[in-house]
Amino acid sequence: MKMLTVRDLHKSFGNFAAVKGVSFEVEKGESYGLLGPNGAGKSTTINMITGLFPPTSGEIQIKDFDVIKNPKQAQKWIGVVPQEIALYQTMSARENLKFWGRMYDLSGSALEKSVDQVLEIIGLTERAKDKVETFSGGMKRRVNIGAAILHRPELLIMDEPTVGIDPQSRNHILETVKRLNDDGMTIIYTSHYMEEVEYLCKRIGIVDHGQLIATGTLSELRETIGDHSKIILTIDKDGSTVAGLAQSLTSLFPEKDIQIQDHQLMVFHKEPQLILTDFIQSVAKTGTGITSVDIVEPNLESVFLHLTGRNLRD
Amino acid sequence: MRKIWTIVTLRLKEFFKSPGVLVLMFVMPALFSWIFGGIAVNSEQNKPIVNVVLRDSNVSSEIFNLLKQDHHYEWKKATRQQAEKNVSSQDVAAAVVIPDDIGQRITDKQPLLDIIVQRKNENYLALSSHLEGTAVLVLRSYQATSELDAAAFPKVLETITSNKGVIVEKQTIQKDTKTNVEVNLMFVGFAIMFMMFGLSGAASTILDERIGGTWGRLMIAPASKLQISLGYLLSYFFMGWIQFAVLMVTMNLLFATSWGKLTYLIPFASLVILSVVGFGLMIAGLVKTKQQAGAVSAILVVSTCMLGGVYWPIDIVPDIMQKIALFVPQSWAMSGFKEIISGSLHAGTLIKDSAALLGFSSLFFFIGLKGMKFE
Repeated sequence: MKMLTVRDLHKSFGNFAAVKGVSFEVEKGESYGLLGPNGAGKSTTINMITGLFPPTSGEIQIKDFDVIKNPKQAQKWIGVVPQEIALYQTMSARENLKFWGRMYDLSGSALEKSVDQVLEIIGLTERAKDKVETFSGGMKRRVNIGAAILHRPELLIMDEPTVGIDPQSRNHILETVKRLNDDGMTIIYTSHYMEEVEYLCKRIGIVDHGQLIATGTLSELRETIGDHSKIILTIDKDGSTVAGLAQSLTSLFPEKDIQIQDHQLMVFHKEPQLILTDFIQSVAKTGTGITSVDIVEPNLESVFLHLTGRNLRD
Repeated sequence: MRKIWTIVTLRLKEFFKSPGVLVLMFVMPALFSWIFGGIAVNSEQNKPIVNVVLRDSNVSSEIFNLLKQDHHYEWKKATRQQAEKNVSSQDVAAAVVIPDDIGQRITDKQPLLDIIVQRKNENYLALSSHLEGTAVLVLRSYQATSELDAAAFPKVLETITSNKGVIVEKQTIQKDTKTNVEVNLMFVGFAIMFMMFGLSGAASTILDERIGGTWGRLMIAPASKLQISLGYLLSYFFMGWIQFAVLMVTMNLLFATSWGKLTYLIPFASLVILSVVGFGLMIAGLVKTKQQAGAVSAILVVSTCMLGGVYWPIDIVPDIMQKIALFVPQSWAMSGFKEIISGSLHAGTLIKDSAALLGFSSLFFFIGLKGMKFE
């Protein structure tokens, strides 16, 4: 069952085209990642999906509701975690949650119960009565998420929910999102942190310059770049020796791409396990000591680099 | 409806949790009113002295009696030399010279009365209107008796003095209260001014909310624009009323002020508060940051309050200024409050003042809501 359908979405601000023909679909219960550098058009796409502003053209459907024609109906089914800490700083965590719960039609005991549950999920039951302004960045982010899940939305849209927080809070948030998805909530997660998207999302769309340049599972995306893994050998010789060694290895493995970096020799290959033994033996024969061997699988970083010609955080 | 009240409750809670806003909306106006109210009440008991220089004649004595009809001043006879000395040393507010040759001055179309002051301050402005009125009476009396015998002129002046119908009386009504209408109006003026500062500050929090993200989050919640707008506007309206009510009660306790009939006061004050809310919303809709809102509202509030008769009675300013004052809501607000507090309750004036305030409110809301970005 389709939870979200986005078709040929365009958005222009004056002469600037922020989103240029983005299309994708998200199934119910799926976790979909939108990956792209700052200014790629992720947030603009998200803002149109949530009904904050209308697209210049295109279609958006959440369940059976047309977001453009009837945004308020569609908004009942979605929870949104905005990029900013969209909370009332002088109010307590509980007061904030109760306010946002009421805005999503919760009241009475249902509201109280939901607030208690959410405080439990975000791990802030003990600090419920404290003002948000006294919280750390990570805690604020957790309340920010809590305010979006009070009404048990079927689709949770998260726009860079971990920006600027410590690793511990990030792990807590990622675990929370994972658990919500395991419980059946559909997730759309935008980030420029690839490891988060890799960890959380079954399917990923890569956005750059307002366009969705690739979409699929991580393995499908890897295939788009020819899927070259990297063998890294760290040796106990200095730079000049490593360079000589690389030269002799190139003559032994002429078809391989061998690179050097400080004390490391790197070989790129589609199936590294097939050449690993030969490669290690060849190095050992020269009398060079090997201190470590690593095989690095192609990841989103390399996919992104391949597709856009630049690093994600550039 | 529940969502509207949710927003109203939240805004009011935030409002009462902000010490800065509380100081601006309650402490400052109460303090100002207490200080200036105290001065005003005190000044009612210690009236400014005006020396009158006159020769011993029936006409001069009757003009002196006419002048004494203004009870805001203590009128004391003095020689010209003494009067000049007193004015110079600021022992008196002014000196009025009743010339010996009134008839000649009338014939020569010269000013009937001379006034000696150090500078043209608010005392002079208030006094001059009384002197002008007196001079007109003297002139008319002289003209009416010019063909009669010499005794007729002072006789007419005496009759005018004893006739209550022409007494220059600013204290229209005062029932069992210590202070007069003008002092009460001063309290109202302070309330309006600080309400304008407070509510334009409160309305500009929308700008902060837009930057902070809560405004955007509200926009994507399943609440209509109407619900959100009404939630904010009602909260500001209640803030205004809370402030006004607190000041009314405080001033009543401190100075036993009378606010007139509540059946008139409540709806009229509601209209005034509505226009102030509209003013705040207009500022928030026209600017981009809270800092800009602060600067713009400070300039607009102070200048329009000056024009609108909040700081001093509008009657004492020149005609042109009184005409300009018609273009600011404060002048209509003060006029309506004057009618209610004085107890005269002139229906035509009250309707006109209310209609003007409604017009200002509509204009402010139109500009404010047009400038508000619902995204």
